[in-house]
Amino acid sequence: MWSMFLLILLTLCAGFAGWIFFLWAVKTGQYDDIERPKYRMLEDDEGKEEKEENKDKEAVKKD
Amino acid sequence: MLEVPERDAVYDEINGQRKVFCCHGCNGIYRLIRNEGLEDFYSKRRNWTPGPAEDRAVDISAFLDGLRPAGSEMETDIILDGIRCASCVWLNEKILLATKGISYANVNYATHRAKIRWNPGKIDIGAIISRIKSIGYTPKPFLPKAWEDEQKRQARDLLIRFGTASFFSMQLMLFSIALYAGYFQGIDERIKLIFHMISLALTTPVLFYAGWPIIKGSFRSLKNLTFNMDVLVAAGSLSAYLYSIEQIMTGGEVYFDTAAMIITLILLGRYIEAGAKRKASETISRLMQLNPREARKLNVSSDQAVSDDRLHLAVRQMVPVSSLRPGDLLEVVPGEKIPVDGVVITGSSEADESMLTGESRPSRKSEGTLVFGGTLNLFGSLVFRVTKTGKETVLAQIIQAVADAQTRRAPIQSVADRVIGFFVPAVLLISLLTFLGWLYHGAPTSRAVMNAVSVMVIACPCALGLATPLAILIGTSNGATRGILIKGGDVIEKAATVDFAVLDKTGTITEGKPVLSDAIGVGIPVSEALRLALSLERRSEHSLGKAIVEAARGLDPYEVAAFSAVPGRGVRGMIHGKPALIGSRGFIVSEGINGTIDAGLDGKHTLELMESEKSGSTVIFLCHDGSLRGVFVVSDKVRKEAAEAVDMLKTAGLSVAMVTGDNLNTAEAVAKKTRIESVKAPVSPLEKAGEIRRLEKEGRHVLMAGDGVNDAPALVEATVGIAVGRATDIALESADIVIMRSDLRLVADAIMLTKKTFRVIRQNIFWAFFYNSVAIPLAILGILHPIMAAGSMAFSSLSVVGNSLRARIR
Repeated sequence: MWSMFLLILLTLCAGFAGWIFFLWAVKTGQYDDIERPKYRMLEDDEGKEEKEENKDKEAVKKD
Repeated sequence: MLEVPERDAVYDEINGQRKVFCCHGCNGIYRLIRNEGLEDFYSKRRNWTPGPAEDRAVDISAFLDGLRPAGSEMETDIILDGIRCASCVWLNEKILLATKGISYANVNYATHRAKIRWNPGKIDIGAIISRIKSIGYTPKPFLPKAWEDEQKRQARDLLIRFGTASFFSMQLMLFSIALYAGYFQGIDERIKLIFHMISLALTTPVLFYAGWPIIKGSFRSLKNLTFNMDVLVAAGSLSAYLYSIEQIMTGGEVYFDTAAMIITLILLGRYIEAGAKRKASETISRLMQLNPREARKLNVSSDQAVSDDRLHLAVRQMVPVSSLRPGDLLEVVPGEKIPVDGVVITGSSEADESMLTGESRPSRKSEGTLVFGGTLNLFGSLVFRVTKTGKETVLAQIIQAVADAQTRRAPIQSVADRVIGFFVPAVLLISLLTFLGWLYHGAPTSRAVMNAVSVMVIACPCALGLATPLAILIGTSNGATRGILIKGGDVIEKAATVDFAVLDKTGTITEGKPVLSDAIGVGIPVSEALRLALSLERRSEHSLGKAIVEAARGLDPYEVAAFSAVPGRGVRGMIHGKPALIGSRGFIVSEGINGTIDAGLDGKHTLELMESEKSGSTVIFLCHDGSLRGVFVVSDKVRKEAAEAVDMLKTAGLSVAMVTGDNLNTAEAVAKKTRIESVKAPVSPLEKAGEIRRLEKEGRHVLMAGDGVNDAPALVEATVGIAVGRATDIALESADIVIMRSDLRLVADAIMLTKKTFRVIRQNIFWAFFYNSVAIPLAILGILHPIMAAGSMAFSSLSVVGNSLRARIR
């Protein structure tokens, strides 16, 4: 009997967490642009290269 | 290269070759690869300006209003004109992020809006603007409109309400299933009570938070004594909710899942609908960016007599377009956009008015002719006097007309609303009769009330909220995959009724793009004549000239000295040291080479040329060294699928007619080729609209297909307007249906698709009501089985979803 109540409680908690997560997603604008993200996989120069690029440029400027 | 709509294409000279790109981004990336290495690309970028020559110094003051502090940094929103695909977005973000001082740059692909954050100590807005301009895009200040923000807020609100309703309904369903099982197998009374309480707790937010706008809306409409969808939904869900609370107390069965599911499905339907509407309004706001924001003003007081000398000496000054007044004198140089409407005072040029008129042939401008804001000045400077500004310009009025047409409600209310119009009162009446009937037979009041309420509960069709949007969603996405964009549900309803098709000629039945259809060499081979023509026309902006250049692709042009163009008539220059001319018959004659035209051609050719001119083609003559050397026939070809498309429309039961601004000869020649019996030519844009109004008065439901702004009034006037092929922005906006591919057969497909979808919607509405209505007698008799209620809900939903899948063609 108690295991059932525990499970019910767990289910409610999980559902509630999903709802909170959804509210967070909407409020932080995750749904604002649903066209763009699907093209992101085609862009392969994130992060590292960009920093190097900046460094190069700064080096050029110092010269 | 790629097939790119002409007005969207970006041209660039690379190593002397002219390349066509879909956008500046692709152009930039192409160069990037060519130059092998990023450094090279960056160093060359500064003095490189691809695309339309729009690189005047931008007035930074227009951007200052949009600045706002974000912590220690500054932030602004900018519209980037020229974004056409994902690589444009990529290029802009990369370039901006690589700029020192910019900490954040994000470009929204759908709205073309860039959000940029930077450190004011390291870089200023002017540097950012010129940075963006250096890669070929035109930054424009983003002026947030109150209604746009409001719309965004509403979209979020709806999403949150729908999401909330879904999450709680999902939870609720777990307990409902347990209660169904308990109904059959028996269930411990205590556990049943606990499950009932949990169900109540989960249903309450769905009804009173997620469903609050619906409940509020129903009270409003009840106050006005009208019955709409809201009333039915609110009545059904509230009665199920209250009935269930009463059942908890008496230990009966609850209907919380019914109440929650009605609200959730209705909200889902609304969310699907809102998405389509939002897209349409975003396109409008992008269209409004078409207008230039600055103008080159001549500082001459306008009441003084204007002489050429005074104009020549006058001081030029860049001023914002908003400060212009009628009477001001403005100058536009070649390649510039004309900022507002006006009358030309001096200068001669041609203007590309295709964005307004859809006419690919440039229109000639000289003293006394009218120029229109938003159009492109091609190759001569013009000075003109402003006649209309702001909201009075032709472009602004068209935008206004389009915006009005979009907010206007569908003439016929949606099918569901009409059904509800009599369904709601009927249900209320039946439930009242149930109440009185039970009282009459001596039942206690509480029993009579419960039975009356259960009638309302079972009658409420929860699949109704999905019946229309789902069929529309499936119909429109089926259309979209084949290049037919349908702008909304009301369009489907209207399009299903059309019985008369009016087609525009230029650009709809014909290709709208002149091509060389015949070339004759006189005394020299045809290829030599083409080569001479290419040499002269290479530097001409004229669309007829472009047709010759296109046809002569692959030939080497000769050196041309002393090149000059006479707008709208022809071109002259020196080839091999001898004068060469190309142009219309009138131009050749006026150049004093009279007589050579007929002398150079034999009788057969002369006859052929007369035939060509009669069938609407333009004949161009080439002279070199004083005698006729070549004749070219340039014509606008009839689309090869046009005749088939006309037949398809006739098969679908429509009468077909053609209207055009062209002369009757051309029109009849085209009509004959495409088997159209009825022709109206020549007609002005307003007469086109008048013609359609006349047909509609006769009780016809008219479909209008066209591609330019001269069609826009007719597109709006018609029951259904269809923009075909390489349509202008404004035609796209005023049309109800947009055909993305240059294939006229899709017009007939679109009509078949809408008729099919509309049929499915009607069936859906029937199935949404059917199972529930069948169960009503049980409720009247007071033997409403909870499993009947659940079953009728499930079956009507399944029928609606399954049937909707049929809303497609072939």
